[in-house]
Amino acid sequence: MSDFGMSGDDLEQMYQEVILEAARDPHGREHFAPDLAKEGSGDTVIRASHEYCTPGESHQFNPTCGDEATVHAEVSDKEPHTIERLVWDGHGCSISQASLSVMVDLCAGKTVDEAMELFRDFHQLMESRGAGLGDEDKEERLGDAVVFQGVSKYPMRIKCALLGWEGMRDSVAKALAAK
Amino acid sequence: MTDFAAIRDEFPILKQEIHGHPLVYLDSAATSQKPQCVIDAEADFYRTINAGVHRGAHELAARATEAFEDARAKVARLVGANATEGEEEVVVTAGATAGLNLLATAFGNASLGRGGEAAKRFALKPGDEIVVSKAEHHSVLLPFQELAYRTGATFKWIDLTEDGRVRTDNLDEVITERTKVVAVTHVGNTTGAITDIAPIVRRAHEVGALFILDACQSVPHIKVDFHAMGVDFAAWSAHKMYGPTGVGFLYGRRELLEALPPANFGGSMVELAWMDQPAQYMEPPARFEAGTQPVAQVVAAGVAADWMMNIGLENIEAHEKTIAAELLKLGDIDGVRILGPRENVDRIGTVAFDVAGVHPHDVGQYIDAQGIAIRVGHHCAQPVHRHFGLYASNRASSGVYNTVEEAQALVEAVKGVRPFFGAA
Repeated sequence: MSDFGMSGDDLEQMYQEVILEAARDPHGREHFAPDLAKEGSGDTVIRASHEYCTPGESHQFNPTCGDEATVHAEVSDKEPHTIERLVWDGHGCSISQASLSVMVDLCAGKTVDEAMELFRDFHQLMESRGAGLGDEDKEERLGDAVVFQGVSKYPMRIKCALLGWEGMRDSVAKALAAK
Repeated sequence: MTDFAAIRDEFPILKQEIHGHPLVYLDSAATSQKPQCVIDAEADFYRTINAGVHRGAHELAARATEAFEDARAKVARLVGANATEGEEEVVVTAGATAGLNLLATAFGNASLGRGGEAAKRFALKPGDEIVVSKAEHHSVLLPFQELAYRTGATFKWIDLTEDGRVRTDNLDEVITERTKVVAVTHVGNTTGAITDIAPIVRRAHEVGALFILDACQSVPHIKVDFHAMGVDFAAWSAHKMYGPTGVGFLYGRRELLEALPPANFGGSMVELAWMDQPAQYMEPPARFEAGTQPVAQVVAAGVAADWMMNIGLENIEAHEKTIAAELLKLGDIDGVRILGPRENVDRIGTVAFDVAGVHPHDVGQYIDAQGIAIRVGHHCAQPVHRHFGLYASNRASSGVYNTVEEAQALVEAVKGVRPFFGAA
């Protein structure tokens, strides 16, 4: 595939197999949100599937390309607040879809504090302009999410990688605020 | 025989490599590249005659004014508008978007009673209708949709055929006796389809409605003549017709421009201003050109218009037709769907396409790695994408400088997209 010189290598560095695979079959995706590709998309009712949880939902949208994700988080009422359920609905480029998938794998079941720490680490990775975090502990915690290091070289694509993470942070914040 | 290789040679930006590949620029519908003569015209203006226009008594001011008005006349010639002093039909704007907003604002002012008796023909009230098409760029859709909300008028639209053309078979149903304004694009910025304007203009005039044309995607590519077409207003931008950014033009039939109240207020558009009574505004086009104008850019746009007329619009159209023919071969690739007419008839070299299973952002990234620039996203036309059941698409669009080989390079590159992303 990489028969077009350096840019081909960059392309492969961005689209690592983990990303392409996750984008093809992303984790945590369920259909519950309205479809922007159709006229007259209606309202949705936000419900928690666990009685001991409070739900929060966040709609993230990138108007330049139409990528969108609605992240639905359910946070336990008891402390330590834990993300008991984390799903999303939406569509977008392979970077955004793969990032949502990896985010769900990392954050579902974690406490809110742990998830927010991951959020900060991932944000820092995406701001690294391809350099990475330079911190083995953080990189180990981020697991598969470190494959997005190559994406951080492309300013136009960072928003794609952050879409789901912003949705996670916002939906969890809404769930906490609703308690 | 026009030497298109020599014409291409006039574009310095095209002589570069991107990611180790010769740049293939197929995004002219977003903005065209500029020939050396246009780049020089702008710089030369600043080097030799820069001064304010229509004011001041010094020699440079006089020369700048002459250059500005001369450019207006060249642009008017390009579109078949009148440029005789006192009968000008071309207003300088900050772009097509600004021109369309100017119109919608002026209609809104007329609806509030401004502009006196003459402006009543532009006034809208509840029960009146504004009609657009579903193929409109947001710059047409939104100013007129907002105008409808402001005035209480009903907002309606003409639907599209399956392949994205503006329908003309049900105009009597959509455009009624209550319709006051009809605004339609001449060429769809996503579909590349040339609208069959004549029956829409006829129907609009039959019911006494004003017809506004979005000419952004037609003026750079095909011969337009606003008088022959019978349109009442038209807006387009300089930067898509090989001119500078920051400038556009609004055409209005002279009689209408004379009746239209101003939308922007300030210097250089008023005869007499008072503290205790309404001002008396200047005649068009000055009435609509408040504030300091982008003179250097307008002068360069005039050079661009002349440059296009020297090549000949028929030649430009014929050349781009050959590019369109190659681009349409995208539709032969497995899993690729063209959003717009498949046949190379009544369309320009703007070809939007969807690659099954691969998001446009990913397509664009893959294509860019080979030095090919196309547009990805919704192209500021979300309703037309919904028409095709999509959020976004990929769009290749030709300019006079493109070669058949470049279009072929794109087609070859797109063939690699689905295998690379493993699209099923």
